[in-house]
Amino acid sequence: MAEHGEKPIDRERIKTFLERNKGKMKRLLSHCVHCSICAESCFLYMGHDKDPRYMPSYKAINSLGKLYKKKGKVDRDFLERIKTMVWRDCVLCRRCYCPIGVDIPSMIALGRTICRSQGVYPNFDESDQKESWL
Amino acid sequence: MFDFIRGPLLWVAFIVFFGGLVFQLLQFFTLTRKKERLFLSVHGKTKGRWSIESMRQWFESLLTTIIGTHPMMTILTLIFHCCLFVTPIFLLAHNILLDESWGISIWSFSESTTDILTVVLLVCGALFLLRRIFVRRVRAITTAFDYLILFITVAPFLSGYMAYHQWFHYKAILFAHILAGEVMLIVAPFTKLGHMLFFFLYRFLIGSEYSFGQGTRSW
Repeated sequence: MAEHGEKPIDRERIKTFLERNKGKMKRLLSHCVHCSICAESCFLYMGHDKDPRYMPSYKAINSLGKLYKKKGKVDRDFLERIKTMVWRDCVLCRRCYCPIGVDIPSMIALGRTICRSQGVYPNFDESDQKESWL
Repeated sequence: MFDFIRGPLLWVAFIVFFGGLVFQLLQFFTLTRKKERLFLSVHGKTKGRWSIESMRQWFESLLTTIIGTHPMMTILTLIFHCCLFVTPIFLLAHNILLDESWGISIWSFSESTTDILTVVLLVCGALFLLRRIFVRRVRAITTAFDYLILFITVAPFLSGYMAYHQWFHYKAILFAHILAGEVMLIVAPFTKLGHMLFFFLYRFLIGSEYSFGQGTRSW
C-alpha cells in the first residue's frame, strides 16, 4: 500500500475527474454490451487459466464503472480493492480488442489516475512482504 | 387504450428514437472535435487497393478480429443483427399499415419468410441468454440489466410471432407487441442498444489501431 494510507479521501477531486471525462466514459460504459469477447485479447486473462477477473471488460466495469455508479462517493477500502484491478491485473498494453470499439484502456487509465490522486498505487518495494505484484 | 398505443404513443416512440439518435450523434461530434493522426493500423497497406496481395492482407487482418477468435459468435451475432433490422422493415403487415396510413409502399418479404427470420432471431436470442447463464466469463460481468435489455430486444419479435400465429388472446398479444416495439424504440438511443449507432462511430470515426476506417477523431 502507498505511504498515504491514513490520508482522507478527497471525494471532490474524484468527482472532478469523473465529471471531466463523463461524456466519453459514461458512453463507453453504457455501450459495453457485456459480451466478454474482449477476454482472449488480454494476455493476463490467457495466462491466468482464463480467470474472468482478468477480462478487460471485468476490470473496467468493476473499477471505473463502479466509481461512476457510486458517483465518486467511495472510501479508501474501495480504492484499495480496485487498485489490484487497475494496477496489477492490467499493464495497459492496449491490446484489448472490443468488437464495438469501446476504448477499455482509457477507462483503466482513468481508474489509475483517480487512485493515484488519492495516494493509492502499488508499492514496488521488494522488501514489502504484504503484497506481491508479480 | 389500444388507440392510444397505436396512435400518439407510436409517434412519441418514433420521435424519441430518431430525436435520441440525432442528440447522441451531435453529442458525439461535439465531444470528439479533436483530431489526431494515427499511423498504427492492424490493417496492412500495400500498393494497389484491389491487388491480390492487399486483399490477402485484408483477409488476414480480419482473422485478428473476432472472426478469427470467435467464428461461431460472429456468425450468431451477424445473423441476429441482420434479422433484427430486416424483419420489421420488410414485414408485410407493417408495410400494409404504412401504405394505409401514409400511402408509402415498400417491398416486403413473404409472410412465411419473415416467420422464419423471426424464429431465427428468437433462437439466436435464446442462445445469447444461455450463454449469459452458463458461460462463466459472461456470467461474471452480467447484471440484471443485461437480461432486461435482451428481453426488451426480443419481446417485440416474440409477441409478433405469437400475434401472427394467434396464440392466446390475439388482441392482448397485439397490444403487447406494439407496446414492446415502442419500449424498444424509446430506450434504444439511451442504453446499451445505442451500440447500433455507436458501433459505426467508434469503429470508423475514432482514431484507433483497430479502426475499420481512416478515423482521426479523438475524445
